[in-house]
Amino acid sequence: MHIPDGFLSPSTWVPAWLLSIGGMSYCLRRVARILKEKMVPLMGVTSAFIFAAQMLNFPIAGGTSGHLIGGVLAAVLLGPFAGAIVITTVLTVQCVVFQDGGLTALGANILNMSIVGTMGGYLIYLGLRKVIGGNRGIIAGVAVAAWASEVLAASGVAVELAISGTSPLRVALPAMAGVHMLLGLGEAIITCSIIGFVLKVRPDLIYQPPLPEAGQEEE
Amino acid sequence: MLLNLLLIMKHSFIDKYSHLQSPIHRVDPRIKSITLTLFILFIIFTPPTHFVSFSFYALLIFILILFSQVPVGSIFKRSLVIIPFVLMIAIFIPFLKKGEIAGGYSFGTFQLTVTYDGLTVFWNVFIKSYLSILCLILLSTTTKFSHLLKALESLKFPQIITMIISFMYRYIFVLVDELMRMKRAKDSRTVGGSRLFHIKILANIVGMLFLRSYERGERVYTAMVSRGFDGEARTLGQFHLRKRDIGYSFIVIALLGLIRFGGG
Repeated sequence: MHIPDGFLSPSTWVPAWLLSIGGMSYCLRRVARILKEKMVPLMGVTSAFIFAAQMLNFPIAGGTSGHLIGGVLAAVLLGPFAGAIVITTVLTVQCVVFQDGGLTALGANILNMSIVGTMGGYLIYLGLRKVIGGNRGIIAGVAVAAWASEVLAASGVAVELAISGTSPLRVALPAMAGVHMLLGLGEAIITCSIIGFVLKVRPDLIYQPPLPEAGQEEE
Repeated sequence: MLLNLLLIMKHSFIDKYSHLQSPIHRVDPRIKSITLTLFILFIIFTPPTHFVSFSFYALLIFILILFSQVPVGSIFKRSLVIIPFVLMIAIFIPFLKKGEIAGGYSFGTFQLTVTYDGLTVFWNVFIKSYLSILCLILLSTTTKFSHLLKALESLKFPQIITMIISFMYRYIFVLVDELMRMKRAKDSRTVGGSRLFHIKILANIVGMLFLRSYERGERVYTAMVSRGFDGEARTLGQFHLRKRDIGYSFIVIALLGLIRFGGG
Protein backbone atom coordinates (compact mmCIF):
# COMPACT_ATOMS: atom_id res chain seq x y z
CA MET A 1 0.00 0.00 0.00
CA HIS A 2 3.05 2.29 0.05
CA ILE A 3 2.76 4.27 -3.18
CA PRO A 4 6.14 4.64 -4.95
CA ASP A 5 7.32 7.78 -6.74
CA GLY A 6 5.99 8.35 -10.25
CA PHE A 7 2.51 6.92 -9.66
CA LEU A 8 0.93 10.20 -8.66
CA SER A 9 0.69 13.39 -10.69
CA PRO A 10 1.97 16.65 -9.15
CA SER A 11 -1.63 17.83 -8.88
CA THR A 12 -2.15 14.94 -6.44
CA TRP A 13 1.04 14.61 -4.44
CA VAL A 14 1.58 18.31 -3.78
CA PRO A 15 -1.84 18.83 -2.11
CA ALA A 16 -1.39 15.50 -0.31
CA TRP A 17 1.93 16.73 1.11
CA LEU A 18 0.36 20.00 2.22
CA LEU A 19 -2.57 18.21 3.87
CA SER A 20 -0.34 15.79 5.73
CA ILE A 21 2.09 18.52 6.85
CA GLY A 22 -0.87 20.47 8.21
CA GLY A 23 -2.36 17.41 9.88
CA MET A 24 0.92 16.33 11.41
CA SER A 25 1.79 19.74 12.82
CA TYR A 26 -1.64 19.83 14.45
CA CYS A 27 -1.03 16.36 15.94
CA LEU A 28 2.44 17.38 17.16
CA ARG A 29 1.02 20.45 18.90
CA ARG A 30 -1.74 18.41 20.54
CA VAL A 31 0.63 15.72 21.79
CA ALA A 32 3.35 18.15 22.91
CA ARG A 33 0.79 19.90 25.10
CA ILE A 34 0.18 16.68 27.04
CA LEU A 35 3.54 14.94 26.99
CA LYS A 36 5.91 17.96 26.98
CA GLU A 37 9.57 16.91 26.84
CA LYS A 38 8.62 13.30 27.53
CA MET A 39 7.20 13.12 24.03
CA VAL A 40 10.42 12.47 22.11
CA PRO A 41 11.61 9.32 23.92
CA LEU A 42 8.11 7.88 24.29
CA MET A 43 7.08 8.48 20.66
CA GLY A 44 10.46 7.24 19.46
CA VAL A 45 10.32 3.97 21.35
CA THR A 46 6.68 3.30 20.47
CA SER A 47 7.45 3.99 16.80
CA ALA A 48 10.17 1.38 17.02
CA PHE A 49 7.59 -0.93 18.62
CA ILE A 50 5.14 -0.55 15.71
CA PHE A 51 8.03 -1.08 13.30
CA ALA A 52 9.05 -4.28 15.10
CA ALA A 53 5.44 -5.49 15.40
CA GLN A 54 5.01 -5.13 11.64
CA MET A 55 7.81 -7.64 11.18
CA LEU A 56 6.04 -10.49 12.93
CA ASN A 57 4.30 -12.83 10.50
CA PHE A 58 0.92 -14.20 11.50
CA PRO A 59 -0.37 -17.43 9.93
CA ILE A 60 -3.48 -16.57 7.87
CA ALA A 61 -5.59 -18.92 5.75
CA GLY A 62 -3.74 -21.72 3.99
CA GLY A 63 0.02 -21.36 3.86
CA THR A 64 -0.05 -17.61 3.58
CA SER A 65 0.85 -15.20 6.30
CA GLY A 66 0.19 -11.54 6.87
CA HIS A 67 1.54 -8.85 9.07
CA LEU A 68 0.10 -6.05 11.10
CA ILE A 69 -0.19 -2.47 9.83
CA GLY A 70 -0.80 -1.22 13.33
CA GLY A 71 -2.54 2.11 12.73
CA VAL A 72 -5.56 1.37 14.88
CA LEU A 73 -3.39 -0.47 17.41
CA ALA A 74 -1.27 2.66 17.86
CA ALA A 75 -4.30 4.92 18.09
CA VAL A 76 -6.10 2.74 20.66
CA LEU A 77 -2.99 2.48 22.85
CA LEU A 78 -1.61 6.00 22.49
CA GLY A 79 -4.56 8.13 21.38
CA PRO A 80 -5.35 9.36 17.87
CA PHE A 81 -2.79 12.18 17.66
CA ALA A 82 0.17 10.29 19.10
CA GLY A 83 -0.88 7.24 17.04
CA ALA A 84 -0.82 9.28 13.84
CA ILE A 85 2.64 10.63 14.69
CA VAL A 86 3.95 7.14 15.34
CA ILE A 87 2.63 5.83 12.01
CA THR A 88 4.06 8.87 10.19
CA THR A 89 7.46 8.23 11.73
CA VAL A 90 7.34 4.59 10.68
CA LEU A 91 6.31 5.56 7.13
CA THR A 92 9.11 8.11 6.88
CA VAL A 93 11.75 5.62 7.97
CA GLN A 94 10.33 2.98 5.62
CA CYS A 95 10.53 5.49 2.76
CA VAL A 96 14.03 6.81 3.41
CA VAL A 97 15.71 3.64 4.63
CA PHE A 98 13.90 0.83 2.83
CA GLN A 99 12.44 2.71 -0.16
CA ASP A 100 9.05 1.32 0.81
CA GLY A 101 7.02 4.17 -0.68
CA GLY A 102 8.39 7.11 -2.62
CA LEU A 103 9.65 10.48 -1.49
CA THR A 104 7.15 12.59 -3.43
CA ALA A 105 4.41 10.09 -2.59
CA LEU A 106 5.25 10.15 1.13
CA GLY A 107 2.70 12.90 1.70
CA ALA A 108 -0.02 10.77 0.12
CA ASN A 109 1.08 7.73 2.09
CA ILE A 110 0.93 9.71 5.33
CA LEU A 111 -2.48 11.03 4.33
CA ASN A 112 -3.81 7.51 3.63
CA MET A 113 -2.36 5.63 6.55
CA SER A 114 -1.80 8.16 9.34
CA ILE A 115 -4.65 10.55 8.83
CA VAL A 116 -7.40 8.58 7.07
CA GLY A 117 -6.43 5.12 8.36
CA THR A 118 -5.31 5.82 11.90
CA MET A 119 -7.33 8.84 12.94
CA GLY A 120 -10.38 7.78 10.90
CA GLY A 121 -10.12 4.31 12.42
CA TYR A 122 -9.91 5.84 15.87
CA LEU A 123 -13.14 7.77 15.36
CA ILE A 124 -14.94 4.55 14.42
CA TYR A 125 -13.48 2.82 17.47
CA LEU A 126 -14.47 5.67 19.76
CA GLY A 127 -18.04 5.70 18.46
CA LEU A 128 -18.55 1.95 18.94
CA ARG A 129 -16.83 2.00 22.32
CA LYS A 130 -19.24 4.66 23.55
CA VAL A 131 -22.33 2.92 22.14
CA ILE A 132 -21.57 -0.58 23.43
CA GLY A 133 -19.56 0.32 26.53
CA GLY A 134 -17.22 -1.70 28.74
CA ASN A 135 -14.49 -4.06 27.60
CA ARG A 136 -16.82 -5.60 25.03
CA GLY A 137 -17.23 -2.16 23.51
CA ILE A 138 -13.46 -1.72 23.30
CA ILE A 139 -12.96 -5.09 21.57
CA ALA A 140 -15.86 -4.61 19.16
CA GLY A 141 -14.70 -1.08 18.39
CA VAL A 142 -11.15 -2.24 17.74
CA ALA A 143 -12.33 -5.03 15.44
CA VAL A 144 -14.48 -2.83 13.24
CA ALA A 145 -12.01 0.07 13.28
CA ALA A 146 -9.00 -2.09 12.33
CA TRP A 147 -10.95 -3.58 9.42
CA ALA A 148 -12.32 -0.22 8.30
CA SER A 149 -8.97 1.54 8.54
CA GLU A 150 -7.46 -0.86 5.99
CA VAL A 151 -10.39 -0.43 3.63
CA LEU A 152 -10.34 3.35 4.05
CA ALA A 153 -6.58 3.62 3.46
CA ALA A 154 -6.83 1.39 0.37
CA SER A 155 -9.70 3.48 -0.97
CA GLY A 156 -7.52 6.54 -0.43
CA VAL A 157 -4.82 4.97 -2.61
CA ALA A 158 -7.39 4.16 -5.32
CA VAL A 159 -8.80 7.69 -5.31
CA GLU A 160 -5.33 9.25 -5.51
CA LEU A 161 -4.35 6.98 -8.40
CA ALA A 162 -7.58 7.90 -10.17
CA ILE A 163 -7.04 11.65 -9.69
CA SER A 164 -3.55 11.19 -11.14
CA GLY A 165 -5.01 9.43 -14.19
CA THR A 166 -2.98 6.30 -13.45
CA SER A 167 -5.98 4.00 -13.12
CA PRO A 168 -9.72 4.48 -13.61
CA LEU A 169 -11.68 4.92 -10.37
CA ARG A 170 -14.56 2.61 -11.28
CA VAL A 171 -12.10 -0.32 -11.51
CA ALA A 172 -9.40 0.66 -9.03
CA LEU A 173 -11.71 1.54 -6.13
CA PRO A 174 -13.71 -1.72 -6.04
CA ALA A 175 -10.54 -3.75 -6.63
CA MET A 176 -8.46 -2.07 -3.92
CA ALA A 177 -11.30 -1.83 -1.41
CA GLY A 178 -12.39 -5.42 -2.15
CA VAL A 179 -8.95 -6.92 -1.63
CA HIS A 180 -8.48 -4.97 1.57
CA MET A 181 -11.89 -6.00 2.87
CA LEU A 182 -10.35 -9.48 3.01
CA LEU A 183 -6.92 -8.39 4.28
CA GLY A 184 -8.64 -6.19 6.84
CA LEU A 185 -10.12 -9.29 8.50
CA GLY A 186 -6.60 -10.40 9.42
CA GLU A 187 -5.76 -6.94 10.75
CA ALA A 188 -8.96 -6.99 12.82
CA ILE A 189 -8.25 -10.41 14.34
CA ILE A 190 -4.64 -9.57 15.17
CA THR A 191 -5.36 -6.11 16.58
CA CYS A 192 -8.22 -7.49 18.70
CA SER A 193 -6.03 -10.22 20.17
CA ILE A 194 -3.29 -7.73 21.06
CA ILE A 195 -5.71 -5.26 22.65
CA GLY A 196 -7.38 -8.17 24.46
CA PHE A 197 -4.02 -9.06 25.99
CA VAL A 198 -3.25 -5.49 27.05
CA LEU A 199 -6.77 -5.19 28.52
CA LYS A 200 -6.05 -8.25 30.65
CA VAL A 201 -2.60 -7.30 31.95
CA ARG A 202 -2.36 -3.49 31.88
CA PRO A 203 -5.82 -2.04 31.21
CA ASP A 204 -4.51 1.34 32.35
CA LEU A 205 -2.37 1.58 29.21
CA ILE A 206 -5.39 1.70 26.90
CA TYR A 207 -5.79 5.34 25.90
CA GLN A 208 -8.72 6.97 27.68
CA PRO A 209 -10.32 9.74 25.63
CA PRO A 210 -10.15 12.89 27.76
CA LEU A 211 -13.44 13.74 29.46
CA PRO A 212 -14.83 17.17 28.64
CA GLU A 213 -14.25 18.55 32.15
CA ALA A 214 -10.98 16.71 32.90
CA GLY A 215 -9.39 17.96 29.70
CA GLN A 216 -5.74 17.11 30.34
CA GLU A 217 -5.61 13.37 30.93
CA GLU A 218 -2.37 11.51 30.89
CA GLU A 219 -1.55 10.20 27.45
CA MET B 1 9.57 -8.14 1.42
CA LEU B 2 10.79 -5.81 4.13
CA LEU B 3 10.50 -8.58 6.66
CA ASN B 4 12.57 -11.02 4.65
CA LEU B 5 15.31 -8.49 4.08
CA LEU B 6 15.53 -7.66 7.75
CA LEU B 7 15.45 -11.24 8.90
CA ILE B 8 18.26 -12.24 6.61
CA MET B 9 20.46 -9.28 7.26
CA LYS B 10 19.66 -8.61 10.92
CA HIS B 11 21.51 -5.69 12.41
CA SER B 12 23.81 -4.48 9.75
CA PHE B 13 21.08 -4.09 7.22
CA ILE B 14 20.25 -0.42 7.49
CA ASP B 15 23.76 0.95 7.44
CA LYS B 16 25.30 -1.94 5.58
CA TYR B 17 27.11 -0.01 2.86
CA SER B 18 27.23 3.45 4.40
CA HIS B 19 30.70 2.92 5.85
CA LEU B 20 32.28 2.44 2.41
CA GLN B 21 34.69 5.11 1.27
CA SER B 22 33.81 6.40 -2.17
CA PRO B 23 33.50 9.80 -3.83
CA ILE B 24 29.72 9.57 -3.38
CA HIS B 25 29.96 8.59 0.29
CA ARG B 26 32.19 11.56 1.02
CA VAL B 27 29.81 14.17 -0.39
CA ASP B 28 28.24 16.38 2.26
CA PRO B 29 24.93 14.74 3.29
CA ARG B 30 23.02 18.00 2.86
CA ILE B 31 24.24 18.45 -0.71
CA LYS B 32 23.58 14.79 -1.45
CA SER B 33 20.00 14.91 -0.14
CA ILE B 34 19.19 18.05 -2.10
CA THR B 35 20.80 16.80 -5.30
CA LEU B 36 19.08 13.43 -5.26
CA THR B 37 15.72 14.96 -4.34
CA LEU B 38 16.12 17.30 -7.32
CA PHE B 39 17.00 14.26 -9.44
CA ILE B 40 13.71 12.61 -8.44
CA LEU B 41 11.77 15.81 -9.20
CA PHE B 42 13.41 16.03 -12.62
CA ILE B 43 12.43 12.45 -13.35
CA ILE B 44 8.86 12.97 -12.21
CA PHE B 45 8.31 16.15 -14.19
CA THR B 46 9.62 14.68 -17.46
CA PRO B 47 6.80 13.83 -19.91
CA PRO B 48 6.59 10.05 -20.50
CA THR B 49 7.31 10.33 -24.22
CA HIS B 50 10.81 11.81 -23.74
CA PHE B 51 12.48 8.44 -24.12
CA VAL B 52 15.92 9.95 -24.72
CA SER B 53 15.78 11.89 -21.45
CA PHE B 54 14.89 8.75 -19.53
CA SER B 55 17.76 6.79 -21.03
CA PHE B 56 20.19 9.52 -20.02
CA TYR B 57 18.71 9.71 -16.51
CA ALA B 58 19.26 5.97 -16.26
CA LEU B 59 22.82 6.33 -17.53
CA LEU B 60 23.55 9.12 -15.05
CA ILE B 61 22.18 7.24 -12.05
CA PHE B 62 24.04 4.12 -13.17
CA ILE B 63 27.32 6.04 -13.33
CA LEU B 64 26.67 7.46 -9.84
CA ILE B 65 25.96 3.94 -8.54
CA LEU B 66 29.22 2.67 -10.07
CA PHE B 67 31.12 5.52 -8.42
CA SER B 68 29.53 4.69 -5.06
CA GLN B 69 31.06 1.17 -5.06
CA VAL B 70 27.84 -0.27 -3.62
CA PRO B 71 27.30 -3.74 -5.19
CA VAL B 72 24.97 -3.30 -8.16
CA GLY B 73 23.24 -6.62 -7.42
CA SER B 74 22.17 -5.52 -3.96
CA ILE B 75 20.76 -2.28 -5.35
CA PHE B 76 18.85 -4.22 -7.98
CA LYS B 77 17.42 -6.55 -5.35
CA ARG B 78 16.24 -3.65 -3.22
CA SER B 79 14.67 -1.91 -6.19
CA LEU B 80 12.25 -4.82 -6.64
CA VAL B 81 10.12 -3.36 -3.82
CA ILE B 82 8.04 -1.50 -6.41
CA ILE B 83 7.04 -4.64 -8.36
CA PRO B 84 3.66 -5.25 -6.63
CA PHE B 85 2.53 -1.71 -7.36
CA VAL B 86 3.66 -1.83 -10.98
CA LEU B 87 1.81 -5.13 -11.44
CA MET B 88 -1.33 -3.63 -9.96
CA ILE B 89 -1.24 -0.78 -12.49
CA ALA B 90 -0.63 -3.32 -15.25
CA ILE B 91 -3.86 -5.06 -14.28
CA PHE B 92 -5.82 -1.81 -14.51
CA ILE B 93 -4.48 -0.84 -17.94
CA PRO B 94 -7.00 -2.76 -20.06
CA PHE B 95 -9.69 -0.69 -18.37
CA LEU B 96 -8.33 2.63 -19.58
CA LYS B 97 -10.54 2.95 -22.62
CA LYS B 98 -9.41 6.22 -24.17
CA GLY B 99 -7.31 6.42 -27.34
CA GLU B 100 -6.28 4.21 -30.20
CA ILE B 101 -6.39 0.48 -29.64
CA ALA B 102 -3.02 -1.26 -29.63
CA GLY B 103 -4.26 -4.80 -29.29
CA GLY B 104 -6.87 -6.88 -27.57
CA TYR B 105 -8.16 -10.26 -26.56
CA SER B 106 -11.70 -11.45 -26.36
CA PHE B 107 -13.03 -14.07 -24.01
CA GLY B 108 -16.42 -14.97 -25.45
CA THR B 109 -18.50 -11.86 -25.05
CA PHE B 110 -15.99 -10.17 -22.72
CA GLN B 111 -13.46 -8.01 -24.52
CA LEU B 112 -10.17 -6.77 -23.18
CA THR B 113 -8.43 -4.09 -25.17
CA VAL B 114 -5.21 -2.26 -24.53
CA THR B 115 -4.92 1.26 -25.89
CA TYR B 116 -1.75 3.21 -26.64
CA ASP B 117 -2.77 5.68 -23.96
CA GLY B 118 -2.98 2.86 -21.47
CA LEU B 119 0.49 1.66 -22.43
CA THR B 120 1.82 5.20 -22.02
CA VAL B 121 0.39 5.37 -18.52
CA PHE B 122 2.07 2.09 -17.68
CA TRP B 123 5.43 3.13 -19.14
CA ASN B 124 5.13 6.44 -17.29
CA VAL B 125 4.70 4.92 -13.84
CA PHE B 126 7.15 2.11 -14.47
CA ILE B 127 10.13 4.17 -15.62
CA LYS B 128 9.56 7.03 -13.19
CA SER B 129 9.11 4.85 -10.13
CA TYR B 130 12.10 2.71 -11.06
CA LEU B 131 14.52 5.58 -11.64
CA SER B 132 13.28 7.38 -8.51
CA ILE B 133 13.75 4.35 -6.33
CA LEU B 134 17.32 4.01 -7.61
CA CYS B 135 17.98 7.60 -6.48
CA LEU B 136 16.54 6.88 -3.04
CA ILE B 137 18.54 3.67 -2.71
CA LEU B 138 21.70 5.51 -3.68
CA LEU B 139 21.02 8.15 -1.03
CA SER B 140 20.33 5.65 1.73
CA THR B 141 23.22 3.29 0.92
CA THR B 142 25.83 6.02 0.75
CA THR B 143 24.82 8.06 3.80
CA LYS B 144 24.95 7.09 7.46
CA PHE B 145 21.46 7.32 8.90
CA SER B 146 22.55 9.67 11.66
CA HIS B 147 24.17 11.96 9.08
CA LEU B 148 21.02 11.90 6.99
CA LEU B 149 18.96 12.98 9.99
CA LYS B 150 21.38 15.75 10.83
CA ALA B 151 21.29 16.89 7.22
CA LEU B 152 17.49 17.02 7.33
CA GLU B 153 17.70 19.03 10.52
CA SER B 154 20.09 21.59 9.10
CA LEU B 155 17.74 21.90 6.12
CA LYS B 156 15.08 23.17 8.55
CA PHE B 157 13.16 19.91 8.81
CA PRO B 158 11.19 20.16 12.11
CA GLN B 159 13.57 19.09 14.85
CA ILE B 160 10.92 17.28 16.84
CA ILE B 161 10.37 14.83 13.97
CA THR B 162 14.07 14.18 13.42
CA MET B 163 14.52 13.62 17.16
CA ILE B 164 11.66 11.11 17.28
CA ILE B 165 13.08 9.34 14.23
CA SER B 166 16.58 9.18 15.72
CA PHE B 167 15.14 7.62 18.88
CA MET B 168 13.12 5.19 16.86
CA TYR B 169 16.22 4.25 14.89
CA ARG B 170 18.16 3.53 18.06
CA TYR B 171 15.50 1.26 19.52
CA ILE B 172 14.47 -0.62 16.38
CA PHE B 173 17.34 -3.07 16.89
CA VAL B 174 16.70 -3.51 20.61
CA LEU B 175 13.00 -4.19 20.10
CA VAL B 176 13.42 -6.41 17.04
CA ASP B 177 15.90 -8.48 19.03
CA GLU B 178 13.46 -8.71 21.92
CA LEU B 179 10.64 -9.70 19.59
CA MET B 180 12.71 -12.39 17.89
CA ARG B 181 13.79 -13.75 21.27
CA MET B 182 10.16 -14.15 22.34
CA LYS B 183 9.27 -15.63 18.96
CA ARG B 184 12.09 -18.18 19.26
CA ALA B 185 10.96 -19.13 22.75
CA LYS B 186 7.42 -19.60 21.48
CA ASP B 187 8.51 -21.60 18.43
CA SER B 188 10.60 -23.98 20.54
CA ARG B 189 7.73 -24.63 22.96
CA THR B 190 4.66 -24.83 20.73
CA VAL B 191 4.23 -27.71 18.31
CA GLY B 192 0.98 -28.34 16.46
CA GLY B 193 -2.12 -26.61 17.72
CA SER B 194 -4.71 -24.76 15.71
CA ARG B 195 -4.04 -21.63 13.70
CA LEU B 196 -6.12 -19.52 16.07
CA PHE B 197 -4.03 -20.75 18.99
CA HIS B 198 -0.84 -19.57 17.28
CA ILE B 199 -2.36 -16.22 16.34
CA LYS B 200 -3.38 -15.73 19.95
CA ILE B 201 0.10 -16.45 21.29
CA LEU B 202 1.74 -14.23 18.69
CA ALA B 203 -0.69 -11.46 19.64
CA ASN B 204 0.26 -11.90 23.29
CA ILE B 205 3.90 -11.55 22.27
CA VAL B 206 3.17 -8.29 20.48
CA GLY B 207 1.16 -7.08 23.48
CA MET B 208 4.05 -7.97 25.77
CA LEU B 209 6.44 -6.16 23.44
CA PHE B 210 4.27 -3.07 23.70
CA LEU B 211 4.33 -3.13 27.50
CA ARG B 212 8.09 -3.55 27.51
CA SER B 213 8.57 -0.80 24.91
CA TYR B 214 6.33 1.61 26.78
CA GLU B 215 8.10 0.98 30.05
CA ARG B 216 11.45 1.24 28.31
CA GLY B 217 10.37 4.60 26.89
CA GLU B 218 9.58 5.87 30.39
CA ARG B 219 12.89 4.52 31.73
CA VAL B 220 14.80 6.16 28.92
CA TYR B 221 13.04 9.43 29.64
CA THR B 222 13.92 9.31 33.35
CA ALA B 223 17.51 8.50 32.49
CA MET B 224 17.61 11.45 30.12
CA VAL B 225 16.10 13.85 32.64
CA SER B 226 18.60 12.77 35.27
CA ARG B 227 21.34 13.71 32.80
CA GLY B 228 19.93 17.16 32.19
CA PHE B 229 17.63 16.69 29.18
CA ASP B 230 15.42 19.74 28.67
CA GLY B 231 13.69 18.90 25.42
CA GLU B 232 16.48 19.88 23.09
CA ALA B 233 19.17 17.75 21.51
CA ARG B 234 22.65 19.21 21.18
CA THR B 235 25.17 17.46 19.02
CA LEU B 236 28.87 17.91 18.54
CA GLY B 237 30.38 18.01 15.10
CA GLN B 238 29.12 20.11 12.26
CA PHE B 239 29.11 19.52 8.55
CA HIS B 240 31.58 21.54 6.56
CA LEU B 241 30.73 22.51 3.03
CA ARG B 242 33.67 21.96 0.74
CA LYS B 243 34.15 23.30 -2.76
CA ARG B 244 34.18 19.72 -4.03
CA ASP B 245 30.67 19.11 -2.70
CA ILE B 246 29.26 22.18 -4.41
CA GLY B 247 31.10 21.19 -7.57
CA TYR B 248 29.61 17.70 -7.46
CA SER B 249 26.11 18.97 -7.02
CA PHE B 250 26.60 21.58 -9.75
CA ILE B 251 27.74 18.94 -12.24
CA VAL B 252 24.82 16.60 -11.50
CA ILE B 253 22.22 19.37 -11.64
CA ALA B 254 23.73 20.78 -14.84
CA LEU B 255 23.62 17.31 -16.41
CA LEU B 256 19.99 16.90 -15.29
CA GLY B 257 19.10 20.25 -16.86
CA LEU B 258 20.90 19.31 -20.04
CA ILE B 259 19.11 15.96 -20.27
CA ARG B 260 15.73 17.48 -19.62
CA PHE B 261 15.86 20.65 -21.69
CA GLY B 262 18.81 20.17 -24.02
CA GLY B 263 18.19 18.96 -27.54
CA GLY B 264 14.52 19.94 -27.37
